[in-house]
Amino acid sequence: MNITAVSLFLLFVFVTLYITYWAAKQISNRDSFYTAGGNISGFQNGLAISGDFMSAASFLGISGLVFATGFDGLIYSIGFLVGWPIVLLLIAEPLRNLGKYTFADVASYRLQQRPIRTLSALGSLATVSLYLIAQMVGAGKLVQILFGLPYDLAVYIVGGLMILYVTFGGMIATTWVQIIKAVLLLFGATLISILVLYQFNFNLNQFFSTAVNNHELGSKILNPGGLIKDPISAISLGLALMFGTAGLPHILMRFFTVKDSIQARKSVVYATGFIGYFYILTFIIGFGAIILVGSNSDYLNPEGGLIGNNNMAAIHLAHAVGGDVLLGFISAVAFATILAVVSGLTLAGASAISHDIYANVINSSNKNEKKELFVSRLATIFLGILAIFLGIIFEKQNIAFMVGLAFAIAASTNFPIIFLSMFWRNLTTRGAFFGGLIGLLVTITLVILSPVVWVDVFNFSEAIFPYKYPALFSMTTTFFFVIFISLSDRSKQAIKDKKGFQEQFYRSITGIGIEEGKKH
Amino acid sequence: MKDISNLIIIKKKIIVPLLFTIIFSYFLFIIFIAYFPGLLGQQFFNYSISYGIVFGFLLILIIFIVTLVYVFLSNKYLEPEIKKITS
Repeated sequence: MNITAVSLFLLFVFVTLYITYWAAKQISNRDSFYTAGGNISGFQNGLAISGDFMSAASFLGISGLVFATGFDGLIYSIGFLVGWPIVLLLIAEPLRNLGKYTFADVASYRLQQRPIRTLSALGSLATVSLYLIAQMVGAGKLVQILFGLPYDLAVYIVGGLMILYVTFGGMIATTWVQIIKAVLLLFGATLISILVLYQFNFNLNQFFSTAVNNHELGSKILNPGGLIKDPISAISLGLALMFGTAGLPHILMRFFTVKDSIQARKSVVYATGFIGYFYILTFIIGFGAIILVGSNSDYLNPEGGLIGNNNMAAIHLAHAVGGDVLLGFISAVAFATILAVVSGLTLAGASAISHDIYANVINSSNKNEKKELFVSRLATIFLGILAIFLGIIFEKQNIAFMVGLAFAIAASTNFPIIFLSMFWRNLTTRGAFFGGLIGLLVTITLVILSPVVWVDVFNFSEAIFPYKYPALFSMTTTFFFVIFISLSDRSKQAIKDKKGFQEQFYRSITGIGIEEGKKH
Repeated sequence: MKDISNLIIIKKKIIVPLLFTIIFSYFLFIIFIAYFPGLLGQQFFNYSISYGIVFGFLLILIIFIVTLVYVFLSNKYLEPEIKKITS
């Protein structure tokens, strides 16, 4: 066990629990619990958003992918980054101007509350749970390797701390945990990169040529490899990544923590800058690992593979350039990263349960803010326990498809509903509800029938749906059905739905009405 | 409700070209990867990197610049219009 890692991690836990204690005293109502009272600045929110996005999976996973395949890692990082200008140009400002706590506020703004909130909550919970499972399993395995703790214990620690942060500290604690973690992660990744490049006197040319000479694939690591083989998969993956980000509930929720649309705009610019910078670092780290880890027998198992697996490339590299101290620091940061990400996810899931399902579907006639706050805390504990439970049962399962499925659902269900409700006058409740539902079912079905589940999980020899990424088909299905059903909708509700557009659009652009909040 | 048609025109003028830039350059990248992987793999002049890597890093830069340009244009042209309406 690495003393530095354990003590730094304990320090992080101590500081974050203190912040939770401090935050808990300020949480008196829904506003502070869901959105930190809207008092987060654009810069802080930008950091917190990048904290949400730079998960341990993307830090270790992408640097591991670069280590193994070179260029292909870059395709992934760019895909994850390209969603941000879409969020900025289309979603961030109207979202802030129209919503209060969840993206369902926006989707149901002029439509019928119950069906649309139910559908949005379903989309949110599906995305959040898939993400949570992936994070919990990743956490268990990572902590097992880094700290030598048993898998189950690691999952309990992550789940337990996350429940404490979110239940007591709500969005205030979650935001600060994200900010601290983002700063630590950016600092750690910068440090590794500088130490690596220092060995080459910051001569990038020499750096890359050494990597090419060191890698078994040689100069092929500078080429696109096997990640994308056919144009359909290429476009499909591109769509999922580009529009998926704009449908992730834990990301969308962050825009309600700032004062107004100007701050929302600022948050995205900072977030894009931090995330882009971070991906450049993961690329350098991956190539650095090719040079300093891939040819050093200390880090290889007898078969010639990396100890642990390729995802350990960044961790081994930290040890190679900075010894036990840097290894400890990066391990602690990786653990902190997981904690922060699961907290953000859980809060988004809990608000979908309490604000959308409980307060506006089940108990919509009897509004009680105190009760809603209580339910959201209860939902947090419930989701936390569920995450621990799922983390344990999925330990030995192949979960590689889960984040992809989460992105596919976000791009194919959440995004079309949000986008059309904001910009398309003729959207009706019936169209959004049934179209969205069909889209959700089609997405899940296509993923199950695709090679990533049908072959890799169920071990059938051939997939029924031949493509790994469904977004091209599922997104178009959703858009088609939402539009088709809306246009053929002749109900009384449809007239009401369309009539509300004018006022909604006016507010989404000017922000008039935002201070007092929307009364349901 | 005041007349916001001018505001909508400005907004469209800012958003549409930027959106087009992003979608075009990203899908160009993706389609190059799918159809012409060999081309992206070629050595970039005398340097030990490929055209693909240069394109990739350029894309990261474009993405960031687009967000900056958007904020710049919004603050300069959009916000004064919004102020006119809200005040």
